Amino acid sequence: MGVYAISGASSGIGAKAKELLLERGNQVINIDLKDGDICVNLATEEGRKEAVDALHKMCPDGLDGIICNAGVSGACGNLPLIISLNYFGTIALAKGAYDLLEKKHGSCVVTASNTISQGAGRMDIADLLNNIGDETRVLHLVNQMDASNLSVGNSLYVSTKYALARWVRRVSAAWAANGVRINAIAPGNVNTAMTATMSTSAKMALNALPIPTKYGQETLMDADEIAEVMIFLVSDKAKGVNGNVMFVDGGTDALLNSEKVY
Amino acid sequence: MKPIEKYVEVMENKDFAGLAELFSKDGILSDYCTNSSAQKEFHIYGKETINMFFRNKFGFRQYSIMDAEVVNDTQAEFIANFGGYNIMAIATVREVTEDGHIKNLTVRPK
Repeated sequence: MGVYAISGASSGIGAKAKELLLERGNQVINIDLKDGDICVNLATEEGRKEAVDALHKMCPDGLDGIICNAGVSGACGNLPLIISLNYFGTIALAKGAYDLLEKKHGSCVVTASNTISQGAGRMDIADLLNNIGDETRVLHLVNQMDASNLSVGNSLYVSTKYALARWVRRVSAAWAANGVRINAIAPGNVNTAMTATMSTSAKMALNALPIPTKYGQETLMDADEIAEVMIFLVSDKAKGVNGNVMFVDGGTDALLNSEKVY
Repeated sequence: MKPIEKYVEVMENKDFAGLAELFSKDGILSDYCTNSSAQKEFHIYGKETINMFFRNKFGFRQYSIMDAEVVNDTQAEFIANFGGYNIMAIATVREVTEDGHIKNLTVRPK
C-alpha cells in the first residue's frame, strides 16, 4: 500500500486520518510537535527544515501523499503562531515534500477551513501572505495587533486559511502538469480537543454557524467525517480532482452562500 | 396580526426561530437588496434553512432592520443593515398558504 505523511496527526482530524490510513494498510508518518514520528515545530524555519529532511531520509523512494493539516485556532491567543504555523508551516511542508510526491505521482491535501467563505478574514493579510510571502514583515505587522481580542485572532485565522486555499489554487495546475495533485479541504467546526476547550464566547460563535446535516442537534461535526474526505482526496480514487477547495462542513457554506456557485 | 406584521416583529427582535415559524415547510425568503454591498443575494429555501441562516446572521450581527413601517397588508419598509451597510428596503409577502404561513417573501431595495 502507500506511504503517507500527515502533519498534526497526534490529535483531532489528523489523528483520525492517520487511523483510517493505517486501517487500510498504509504506512503513515506523523509530523507533530508532540508524539510524532517526526517531532518538530512547524512554526519555525528550523522545524520545517528538520521535518523535510527527515521525510527525505525516511522516504527515499517518495511519498504517495501528504496531508498538511497542522494548525491552531484563532482562539489560541498567539497571533504570530497562527501566521507561522497555519500558513508558512503548511506551505513549507508541502513545497518541501513536492519532489517526494513527484517521484510517485502522489497527492497533497491542505487543511483550510469553511470560514474562508464567510467574509471574516482580513484580505490585506491574505494578500500579504500570498503575494509577498515575507514572514518577518507579516509577523511584525501582526505583533502590533491586540492578541487579547478574540475577533482579531479569528480574522487572522481566516486570513491564513484563505491564503492557503488560494495558494493551492495557484500552484495546482503546475503541480498537476508534473504529476502531483493538490487540493484543499475546508472543514466545518469539528469535535476535537481544540473545540472542546474553547471559551463560552467562542462556543457561542460556533453555534451561530449552523451545520445543516446536524440540524437540531447542537453538535459539531465528527473528525471522521472530515478525515474520510481527506483520505479520498489524497487517494488515486480522486485522480481527476485537482485545485479544488472541497467544503466538508455539512452544508454550512451552501447555507450561507447559496449564490456562490463558483 | 398579519404575516407582514409578524415578520417585522421577529426581525426587529432578531428572533430567528420565530422567523422560521412564520414560513411554510417549503417557504422561500429572497433578498435582492445586497447588490451594492459585499454580500450576495439571499435565496433561502425552507423553514429550517431560514432558521439556520438567520441564526448565523443575527449571531454575528450581519443583518438587522430598523425604522420599520408596515405600509399595507403585504408590505413593510425598513432600513436593512448588512454588516454595517444600510439599504432602504421593502419586504413583500407574495404568497401565503391556506393555514397562514408565508410561502414566498421578497426583500428588494426601495
